[in-house]
Amino acid sequence: MSVPRIELVGLAKRFGSRQVLDGVDLAVMPGESMVIIGGSGTGKSVTLKLILGLLCPDAGAIHVDGQNVIGLKGAALDAHRARFGMLFQGGALFDSLSVWRNVSFALAGTAASRRAAAIDNLARVGLAADVADLRPAELSGGMQKRVALARAIAPRPPIIFFDEPTAGLDPITAAVINDLIRELATDLKITALTITHDMHSVRTVADKVAMLHAGKIIWQGPLTSLDGCDNPYVHQFITGSAQGPISMPGRR
Amino acid sequence: MAMNLLIAIGASVLAGLAGIGRLTRFGATALIRLLQPPWYPAQYLQQMLVIGWLSLPVVGLTAIFTGSALAQQIFIGGSRFNAASTVPAVTVIGVVRELGPVLGGLMVAGRVASAMAAELGTMRVTEQIDALVTLRTDPFRWLVAPRLLAAVLVMPALVLVSNALGVMGGWLLATQRLGFNSAQYLATTARYLEADDVISSLVKAAVFGFFIALMGCYHGYHSGGGAAGVGRATTNAVVSSFILILLANLVITVIVFGS
Repeated sequence: MSVPRIELVGLAKRFGSRQVLDGVDLAVMPGESMVIIGGSGTGKSVTLKLILGLLCPDAGAIHVDGQNVIGLKGAALDAHRARFGMLFQGGALFDSLSVWRNVSFALAGTAASRRAAAIDNLARVGLAADVADLRPAELSGGMQKRVALARAIAPRPPIIFFDEPTAGLDPITAAVINDLIRELATDLKITALTITHDMHSVRTVADKVAMLHAGKIIWQGPLTSLDGCDNPYVHQFITGSAQGPISMPGRR
Repeated sequence: MAMNLLIAIGASVLAGLAGIGRLTRFGATALIRLLQPPWYPAQYLQQMLVIGWLSLPVVGLTAIFTGSALAQQIFIGGSRFNAASTVPAVTVIGVVRELGPVLGGLMVAGRVASAMAAELGTMRVTEQIDALVTLRTDPFRWLVAPRLLAAVLVMPALVLVSNALGVMGGWLLATQRLGFNSAQYLATTARYLEADDVISSLVKAAVFGFFIALMGCYHGYHSGGGAAGVGRATTNAVVSSFILILLANLVITVIVFGS
């Protein structure tokens, strides 16, 4: 059996008095597209930031390709991060740089070669070369997401994280982004870890689904078993029902 | 009641000390990274342009108006003691030792520290700083170090211009309105201006530049809580850089001229 590309073991993280993650166990195999679902504030983004080394866990282990990555520093941490691309929820494009400089930010080479590479990557996400010299503020939300996607794939990392890839987008643009993620994951043979509460995203991009609730993975399985799952939390979440075991904070 | 008051005072003191510790660590980290590659020349040049060139109009106008007003006040005050002829000497000393660097520093702080805090704060809340890290770029090297070095290098140049324009403002008013002879005014100005005055002015400017960039970057970098958090960071950056400029000015003045 092959080594998981990403393996989380008993991962815990607390912010002040709030225990956000309380023993998360999860394995993502190479080439797999895993989607973590869960309500707002359940620690989905925190999980990604812990894996990337942007936050430090209180307990547990994170293995990437079999190596423990907690506590890495300097060049080892840089090498760890080089394995990842990240699509941030809001795009997180650098306002002060043009589109092509954003896309080619992590690439080496001359300005001309980086610009050419940026235009290639823009084409991969369906954007024409004429957006290359625009600033992010001149683009629509959907185009910004595509540019952010192009930036995430530009260095061809083996693992890409997608943080709420369709948040704030209209349904059609969201569908386009979902299709792009699925297509890129397949074409580039990447391992994808997506966090979302958009069920359309889940059904388009996932091979496997895991649900995070109360700081733990309470269910995981292949996408095909999601609808038939008898876990009441998962059932409530995927049907979007107000009635069920998940109660919203402040709701009676 | 008394115990509660003591607890509150103790908590405030501890929070203040922790803040000083965080700021010191932030500044030390920035200085260390400044000395280590990679460096980003385009970022340094851009910051020099933003801090120096774009601050020139506001600093220059402030200097001209203040130099003129100072000359007028010295003339009025000096006339009471039959000492109106001291206008050129007192103006040049006042401008070069105090008003040029301090007012220049305060104007740049208002313009630049706020802009740095707002920019870095927005980058923080929109995850751009996290994005930099995931793209294997150290935010201290990319964002903080260029601002710090640019401010330290550019502020002395700005203050030199500010001093010259301040003296020119005084000369303009004195010769056009107060009846001073132009050549005599300039000769007196040159006679009373000493190298120590200029050196202390430049040292003050470099120190003020460091504090302006440090406060702007520190508050912006640690911003949080959305738009309100960025607003708070901006206010804190301006207020803290104003206070540090005035405090540093006092300390440098006492050290250089106190004896």
